[in-house]
Amino acid sequence: MKKCEQFRDLILSDHMDGELDRIAAERVQRHLLDCGECRAFLKEVASISLKQAPRQAVPPELWATIKENILQDKQKVNPLESILEKLQGLIIYPRLVPVFASLILMLVAGSVSLNTIQIQQTKDKEQGEYLVSLLGATSSSTQADNNDLGTPIEHYFL
Amino acid sequence: MEDIAKEILTRASQGDMQAFEDVYKASSSFVYNVALRVVNNREDALEVSQEVFMIIYNKLKGFRFESSFKTWAYRITANTAINYAKRYSRTKTVPFEESFGEGAVFNEAQEHIDQEHKEKLVESLLNELNPEQRACVVLRDIQGLSYEEIAQALNININTVRSRLKRSREKLLSVRRKVDYEKV
Repeated sequence: MKKCEQFRDLILSDHMDGELDRIAAERVQRHLLDCGECRAFLKEVASISLKQAPRQAVPPELWATIKENILQDKQKVNPLESILEKLQGLIIYPRLVPVFASLILMLVAGSVSLNTIQIQQTKDKEQGEYLVSLLGATSSSTQADNNDLGTPIEHYFL
Repeated sequence: MEDIAKEILTRASQGDMQAFEDVYKASSSFVYNVALRVVNNREDALEVSQEVFMIIYNKLKGFRFESSFKTWAYRITANTAINYAKRYSRTKTVPFEESFGEGAVFNEAQEHIDQEHKEKLVESLLNELNPEQRACVVLRDIQGLSYEEIAQALNININTVRSRLKRSREKLLSVRRKVDYEKV
């Protein structure tokens, strides 16, 4: 019967494992009272349960081997790694690491852009001075009736 | 698995061997028994248990208590055991039908069978399942974990836990029925 199949699916999982809610568990119980075949099925499923499997004692040599492996690993640790680990240990709040990293990046970016502005300002100033000096030179050359601005291209065309 | 105080876990994560021994004492029975049932033999279970505790020791430094230590240890144990069973599939146990086919006793007297016989029965039944199914059955039937805890340990959803358990039990039932049928 299809109804029995559905109950057997539940018997194989949630019912066996006590995972059904109260209402569903009561429905299964009612069905089991009415259906002898499903009761037999439940008994069969219970017989292959491993709940009674013997729990084995942990072999005493296990801890000794683990301890030995840990000590060997400690000796093998690279000095660079141990320094890195110590540095990591200094960071008390690892979640704040990205925040600190972003702050440092922002500071670096800020100082770089400040330098760029200062360089630009210096360049502008130098260019201004150069133009002023050129104008000075031009006015003096005008006085001398000379059109040469002193650049190679001027030499080429004139 | 027994609960472990946060203070012990913190000291163990800082390399305190005495604290790590306390962690070992609280969790070794779970780790060894899960490993034993998933790989299904003693030598391999010892290797898996060593691997599990080395992982726990090395990764404890990064453990931030966001999940419970138990769930974390369940996951490491189950994954290590399943991977080991898949890599080195050297089943040494006798199939269920051979062990319990001829002259096997399946009646009320089974309650009184000796420990060795019971152990052989468990090994043979588990031998019929694949490593993932074995892990599910072991965590549920032997260790008593809830579906939710199994789902977290194996990193699968609850419906997968449900279907793996159902298929495993169907398989065990069919083997059992086959043996019963051959006996008739």
